[in-house]
Amino acid sequence: MAENEDFVIVGAAYKKQVRPVSESSVWRRLWKRPLFSLLVLGILLLGCIMAESIMNHHPSDFYLANLNEPPNTEFYFGTDSLGRDIFSIIWYGGRVSLFIGFSGMAILTCIGVFYGCLSGMAPAFLDNMMMRTAEMLSSIPNLLLILLILSIAGKPTPISIAAVIGGTSWMSLARIVRSEVRQIRASEYILVAKSMGASFPRILYYHLLPNFLSAIMFVVVSSISSCIMLESTLSFLGLGLPVEVVSWGSMLSLSNKALLTNSWWVILIPGVFIVVTLLCITNIGHYLRGAVNRRSSNL
Amino acid sequence: MLRYIGKKIGIFVIFMGLLSMFVFILARLAPGDPLLSFYGEGVERMSTEEHLAARQRLGLDETLPVQYIRWVDNAVHGDFGISYKYKQPASVILMALLGNTLLLGTVAYVSVFVLAVLLAVFCTLYEDTWVDRIICKMGTIVYYLPPFWLGLLLILLFSVNLHWLPSGGAYDTGRSNDLLNRLQHMILPLMVMVTSHLWYYTYMIRNKLLDEVRRDYVLLAKAKGMSGYSIVWHHCLRNVAPSITSIMAISITHILSGTYVVEAVFAYPGIGALSIESAKYHDYNLLMLVVLITGALVILSSLLAQTINECLDPRMRSEGDSIWQKMKTL
Repeated sequence: MAENEDFVIVGAAYKKQVRPVSESSVWRRLWKRPLFSLLVLGILLLGCIMAESIMNHHPSDFYLANLNEPPNTEFYFGTDSLGRDIFSIIWYGGRVSLFIGFSGMAILTCIGVFYGCLSGMAPAFLDNMMMRTAEMLSSIPNLLLILLILSIAGKPTPISIAAVIGGTSWMSLARIVRSEVRQIRASEYILVAKSMGASFPRILYYHLLPNFLSAIMFVVVSSISSCIMLESTLSFLGLGLPVEVVSWGSMLSLSNKALLTNSWWVILIPGVFIVVTLLCITNIGHYLRGAVNRRSSNL
Repeated sequence: MLRYIGKKIGIFVIFMGLLSMFVFILARLAPGDPLLSFYGEGVERMSTEEHLAARQRLGLDETLPVQYIRWVDNAVHGDFGISYKYKQPASVILMALLGNTLLLGTVAYVSVFVLAVLLAVFCTLYEDTWVDRIICKMGTIVYYLPPFWLGLLLILLFSVNLHWLPSGGAYDTGRSNDLLNRLQHMILPLMVMVTSHLWYYTYMIRNKLLDEVRRDYVLLAKAKGMSGYSIVWHHCLRNVAPSITSIMAISITHILSGTYVVEAVFAYPGIGALSIESAKYHDYNLLMLVVLITGALVILSSLLAQTINECLDPRMRSEGDSIWQKMKTL
């Protein structure tokens, strides 16, 4: 305001000039809108973390006298065909599902960002080769690649599942990072950093990453959803986690038996938990991306 | 023209070579004796000499590159090894099921894109009205329903409780030529395929169209007195056609892997259910073949889409980029 005080503006329609509000930060945007999604996701997370104090039955107990019981006051969400209390194991299983979602995202982001930066900074020949390799890998359906690796790897654990999912779905992120880096790499500050002898990791961390972070935010956040979805699909197919390791996906692997006995709660409830989690995460991701501003339509 | 075709064939051959190398190395990394996949349980009864002789006969004592070349040589002659689980040549088993998958995949593919274009045009015409907003919200929710779970719910509703439709298979036993019967079995898988893919592509096409209706020629057409419907249908849609074919090329991978899950849920006899089975039983020969066939299918169709694009818009030929790089602009 200080520089404006020298001027005294007179006139009929005098209006004090208001500076345009600068673009709100990621955190402010987060604070502004998806409160409901955050709230629901927070409740889910809290429930999973404090599973022990919420559940009213032990997750590894088999209530053989109460197989396939519909929801009632004793078993809030009913029991499955092994006699486990669904209300108790759903919180317990959420830990595994969310763990795979978040760690899969972390692995995928690390590989994707590193590969994308390397390819973006590389000379044209190498860049072309690296991108063609990624292109080839992404042309095989993701699920098939995972099947191939899982059938070769040993007994699946949550960590190995997360690693396989993360290790096979980084290609689209790498592509976005690469095209962003291609745009940034010509700028002077990269040249300065290079000529001052900065190493590649340093340039990556201090100069590239902050500049394309907002561009990849949506992809990174929604990759949590896709990791959770893939885990549940794999476990349902019987290739992911075994039934003993409770996750939302492996709970659904009992659903073929549930179809025979028409016990809808075994299928419906874990699925609803998955869908609600995915929708909350996506909603948050959408706000991180920010609104698309379009001119008014010519139609 | 000849050079053009030659280039495409060259890309295909290089791609298949790299893919097969990748798959071969991955399969050889597998723990366990590769002999098992040729002789089954018989391996355990073999004496040491027999074992060595068998290894030599199959060339397993050679170095990896030599083994690979031998494998390619066999593969070119149509010999992909024996399926461990079915005790039959892998190619025979695969070919029997490929048709079912292609049928389901193609019908799903066509219906997804016909519906996606129609829905996208509809959304563009009613942009930002309550109809468009409701469709967008619904689409997002439907997109995040896990396809296998949606399939289970549909089976629960339509087969178990209402008894309207069969819960699985491609046809009732002995009625494989009955078209009506096949159609009945395809309704539920198709519903899952369409609902789980529709919104993704609708959204992409809708965004393209929304950018397109902000171009100046739309204003001119409007000033001439054309209706909004005919502007979008006759002009805008034509201009985004190259983007739609690019999207269609990329989507083949997604829709194929969608088929795999759906086949497993509905016990539909196709290569998807087969690949999941073989992953469970560590049937590498079969799994390798499925990966290769899928890869070939995907690259062939993406080359086809590229060619179509270049016919639609000759400007693209000069760029010489792959379709994937063009996707950046989407």
